[in-house]
Amino acid sequence: MSDLKIINLVKNFVGMDRPAVNNVNLKINSGELVAFLGPSGCGKTTILKMITGLFAPDNGDIVLDNKSLLPIPTENRGVVMVFQNYLLFPYMNVNENVGFALKMKGIDKNVIEKKVREMLDLVKLPDIGFRKPKQLSGGQQQRVALARALIASPRLLLLDEPLSNLDAHLRDEMRDLIVTIQKKLNVTTIFVTHDQEEAVLLADKIALIFDGELQNYTSPKNYYEQPKNIKAAKFFGGVNFIKSKKINNEFISDIGKINYVGENINDLNDEINITIRPENIKLSKTNDFDHNSFKGNIKSIIFSGTHTRYKIIINNLELECSLQSLGIKNINQGDEIFVHLPKDKIWGMND
Amino acid sequence: MGGERLKIILSLTPPLLIIITLFFGGIFYGFLQSLGYQPAIGKYDINFSAYYNVMFSERYSKLFWTGLGLNLWVSFASTFLAAVFALFGALAIRKTFFAKTVCNFIYSLNLPMPHLVVAVGMIFVFSQSGLLARFASQLGLINSPGDFPVLVRDKYGFGIILAYIWKEAAFFFIILMSVLQSLGENFEELAQSLGANRWQRFRYVILPLVMPNLFSASIIVFAFSFGAYEVPALLGVIYPQMLPVMAFEFFLNPDLNARSEGMALSIIIALIVMILVVFYFWLTQAKIRKD
Repeated sequence: MSDLKIINLVKNFVGMDRPAVNNVNLKINSGELVAFLGPSGCGKTTILKMITGLFAPDNGDIVLDNKSLLPIPTENRGVVMVFQNYLLFPYMNVNENVGFALKMKGIDKNVIEKKVREMLDLVKLPDIGFRKPKQLSGGQQQRVALARALIASPRLLLLDEPLSNLDAHLRDEMRDLIVTIQKKLNVTTIFVTHDQEEAVLLADKIALIFDGELQNYTSPKNYYEQPKNIKAAKFFGGVNFIKSKKINNEFISDIGKINYVGENINDLNDEINITIRPENIKLSKTNDFDHNSFKGNIKSIIFSGTHTRYKIIINNLELECSLQSLGIKNINQGDEIFVHLPKDKIWGMND
Repeated sequence: MGGERLKIILSLTPPLLIIITLFFGGIFYGFLQSLGYQPAIGKYDINFSAYYNVMFSERYSKLFWTGLGLNLWVSFASTFLAAVFALFGALAIRKTFFAKTVCNFIYSLNLPMPHLVVAVGMIFVFSQSGLLARFASQLGLINSPGDFPVLVRDKYGFGIILAYIWKEAAFFFIILMSVLQSLGENFEELAQSLGANRWQRFRYVILPLVMPNLFSASIIVFAFSFGAYEVPALLGVIYPQMLPVMAFEFFLNPDLNARSEGMALSIIIALIVMILVVFYFWLTQAKIRKD
């Protein structure tokens, strides 16, 4: 079991006009793979470094298996970090690099050799033990760095931008390897990334961080369908936002009355933003829909291969719709069109 | 292709001519003198008697071998200790703290100081009539300044070693600071998260990372201290005498015949340093091939 709780975590740096990390709370269950997602400088790596003990928080606590990590020195925490640029020791060969953590524990040489072989097999690099880091490709270096971390049997594995230095084709390969190994060893893992696609493909849950503050912490699917606020929705490609007012349990907007049945209906304020993914909007030349149907005009059409994007103006509000290119018939710029926002696909947000 | 090659040769020729004429020309003429060729005093024979005299004659052999021993001791000890002091200084100062700039300045202050000034400074501070001796006497730690241990102009070369440590530590420090700054702390942080304690991080991470630069700097410092004259001349004793001082005294000898011995001694010093440099290059090349 390696449950991690981050409680009211705060970190300030001299010269910054806001906290680098501001009152972050989250819980990661044992065996979960969680992504810390956000733009550069938002505090993701700072949180990671506080978990390893390389930075001391100004406030709050970090609890692993019901025990605070704060009084424990980095080397005894059982929290291993894989750095963005791999940091293989250049003067050691691959075997020595991978066996480093066991050597530090004073473990017998023969045991280390055996474990190193196992780890290199695990990362699918069985025959490169005597090579020096500079003789390895970027992907191989990343795998060696991963093997070096895993050999320490960490209670918590931290990966700082694990795929950012790799070519596109290596990324896919490495992504699969990370997920496979993580599930096989069931090691609780946090990885930091600024790439939303990477987070969605890898993580069980995503913690979205902006300006040191946790914006949203939920499953990747929810970021698309039920984002917590406009910032989170926008980060995941959300473009349609309709300001609405709640009047007598009805939502009134500039485009008309919106029929809303979202599960958070009772938590919504009087003024909200309603969002819908471009791919969930339906278009028709005739009014075939029994609810949330609005008349608008096609402002522009952008063909992008498999999909075509339409910008539609409804009473001065611009909405974007994405349809599969194959199914489109006879929709042209300037056409009058009926836009359908299915009630089970729209989502209301307070912020 | 041929024109390109000619262009390279032509552009390299002027500096090469200067180097060959001034450096190798001087060495060659000095080497000829060490072989006894001194037309100015009518000596045209070529032989190795000056080398034999310096190393094996009853008159000079003891002086030479004890001098060589002292040279090796002083150069090794001062190089090693200066490197150690600089390494710990750089490790202590590299992290940001309120007095970093001041400490950095103090540590680097010796670099532009001439060796001669440092040697005189050593006399002022560490000699039996120096500041420390007077302080110790005033504080009642010793009866009189004369009771202060002989640290300058001593037969073990402590004064010379101290002067070189004082001076060369700054050189090591500048090099190490730039290496440590460029390395950052990521390697250490990584090792720490992999379970390395403070000592292990020093032994298995910092030391191997700075060693190539430290070793190169050590070769420079060793070569310099092995062949330098002014500090041993000021802070050394008449016996044992370091080889550069001995060589210079041969030159000062009114008997021009002694000049061959002086040149032989200088060539021996240069040879030892060159052997060391060649050994260093062989080591680094072997390491590159191994990697």
